[in-house]
Amino acid sequence: MNSNRSSRWLEWVLLALVLVLALWLRLADVAARPMHADEANQAVKLGGLLAGEGYRFDPSDHHGPTLYYFSEVVARWRGENNLAALTEFTVRLTPVLAGVLAVLLLWILVRPLGRWPALLAALLLAVAPAAVYYSRYFIQETLLVTFTLGAFVCGRAWWEKRGLIWAVGTGGWLGLMLATKASALVLVAAACLALAACRRTSRTPWREVAVVGVVAAFVAAAFYSSFGTNLGGLRDALVTPFAMLGRVAGGESGHEKPWWYYLRLFVYQKQGGYVWDESVLLLPALVGAGLGWRRGGLSRFVAVYVAVIALVYSLAPYKTPWQVVNLVPGLCILAAITLASVRRWVAVPLVLVVLAGLGWQTRQAVFLRPADERNPFAYVHTVPDMVKVPAIAAAVPAGPVKVIGREYWPLPWYLRARPAVGFWTEPPTDCDGVLVFVEADQAEAVRARLKGNYTESFLGLRPGVLVVVFTRVGA
Amino acid sequence: MIRRLLTLTLLSLTVPALSAQDLVPIPLELPKPLFVGTPVPIKVPNLEKATGVKRPPFLAPAGTVNLAKDKEVTASDTFPVIGDTPFVTDGDKDGSEGTYVEYGPGLQWVQIDLGKSAPLYAIVMWHFHAQARVYHDVIVQVSDDKDFKTGVTTLFNNDHDNTSGLGAGTDMAYIETAEGKLVDAKGTSARYVRLYSNGNTTSELNHYVEVEVFGKP
Repeated sequence: MNSNRSSRWLEWVLLALVLVLALWLRLADVAARPMHADEANQAVKLGGLLAGEGYRFDPSDHHGPTLYYFSEVVARWRGENNLAALTEFTVRLTPVLAGVLAVLLLWILVRPLGRWPALLAALLLAVAPAAVYYSRYFIQETLLVTFTLGAFVCGRAWWEKRGLIWAVGTGGWLGLMLATKASALVLVAAACLALAACRRTSRTPWREVAVVGVVAAFVAAAFYSSFGTNLGGLRDALVTPFAMLGRVAGGESGHEKPWWYYLRLFVYQKQGGYVWDESVLLLPALVGAGLGWRRGGLSRFVAVYVAVIALVYSLAPYKTPWQVVNLVPGLCILAAITLASVRRWVAVPLVLVVLAGLGWQTRQAVFLRPADERNPFAYVHTVPDMVKVPAIAAAVPAGPVKVIGREYWPLPWYLRARPAVGFWTEPPTDCDGVLVFVEADQAEAVRARLKGNYTESFLGLRPGVLVVVFTRVGA
Repeated sequence: MIRRLLTLTLLSLTVPALSAQDLVPIPLELPKPLFVGTPVPIKVPNLEKATGVKRPPFLAPAGTVNLAKDKEVTASDTFPVIGDTPFVTDGDKDGSEGTYVEYGPGLQWVQIDLGKSAPLYAIVMWHFHAQARVYHDVIVQVSDDKDFKTGVTTLFNNDHDNTSGLGAGTDMAYIETAEGKLVDAKGTSARYVRLYSNGNTTSELNHYVEVEVFGKP
């Protein structure tokens, strides 16, 4: 009895340590990395929501509303009530918290498989490079992972115990998934296929399935309609999956990559002198997939789910590295199944090797080179030069600031504290301003139209994209 | 006459009133940023093609050669992130992976010891030319003092706001190309050449593919 109680205490202590580690890895120096164009874009949208301009779902090039609404709560809690007051720390806090919650949910999901598999899976997710990197990134992907895990936790309880409350819970998480990204449909389809692979002979409880569907639709509709204030958002939400399908399969988005792109993120590669390798996670996960298939139940569900997602993502020409985080929790579970199934004298050094390998990669990707173009997770990333922009803008007197270029994000974020900032994709007739940021290939045209005296300097926007900064002299 | 006087009086009263009214800010409406999707990765090999202008031959006295080839190089960052410091003078200007040295973030320098003082005519440097980049605060100095405390001549300085603390310079920033950047050394005699940079428009790191120092042995 005492032995049981002490081992339960040990388990709680270890879980608490894993969660603290997850929080620290996600929160430490979280504001340091320059804002990616996508992060800046979404943060400026959040600024509109904070300013009382409301939110309207925009199906073109944008995802669902959950990120904005949850971030609004966090921003108001931190006392940042407008765009100018918003900080990188605050906007990234929502995915950070979602990332830690994902670790906890993974532990709850895997706990029925045993104490050690659950703790190991949670620990691997806590330190996995992609999971840590994109938990510090103001985009929807980590929220989608967390909501998916929430749906699995409730879905599993519903599967095992039945009961309306679990059906409602599953529907709620599912609704949040759908209100986060249209690609949630791929995850739902993969989960259905995985369920079919684990199906028992019992009859399907259609009444409760209907409850799941109704609750999910209600939650998603609430978000997409901006809580009843924009019913057009519902129509847009319904057509978004078709638009997404066209973009993903169309092959003209500019984000097309070979089928092995996601696989390559986990195996050895050398980029400009830097080594990236997560095979320490992939190899035990592959073994775990075989074990999982044989064992059935949750293990088989995870193996099939991961395999289906990996297959669909790899076959679709459209690929961005953040999509890989949807694979990571499953890989962590499968790797944990392998590591927990070997004898302890083998398991302990193996776990240490896996943790050392992942820790080394996380350190390099997240803390040493978070915005480096050779970092496979830093996709078309903003360069550190952009962080200089607020100081440059603060050093010039009041007057119009002009941004001219086909590529200018994240400049709207870095100029958010400045009034009278205008943005043009082509040089306007009157280019003059106290400060003029111009994409390098348009600098000559702008220079010809400037009437005052200016000094010129270069700033980087993204790798290979330069901005010429014209600063008016004696303004 | 009375009408003219009245008109002038009225005008003299109106003009100051108009001037005062003119001093309000104009209601300038500037376009808001357009929300766009994830930027697409681009591949720019270098900007040499974009400029399309080949550098004219640089004229120097007969017998001028590259004095830096395989000469000893030291650096402020003694543990380069990638590559080795001798890459700076190894004669390999390819610029691909394995031919450049990468130093840590912030202001860093490399220094070439030519072995003895010699009249120098040109210094050509290649930081990194696989991509359109501008290196910040590029400064080229020569001296006979290896610590660069005395007898320092600055040949090039584009640190326009004195970020480096070595003095503000008036030379222009430039985009890296495979042609390299040529600095006129104007026949200055020196044994040591020191080159500074302070990150670049792609990262905070500093790179050198090659440096050549042309002078008379």
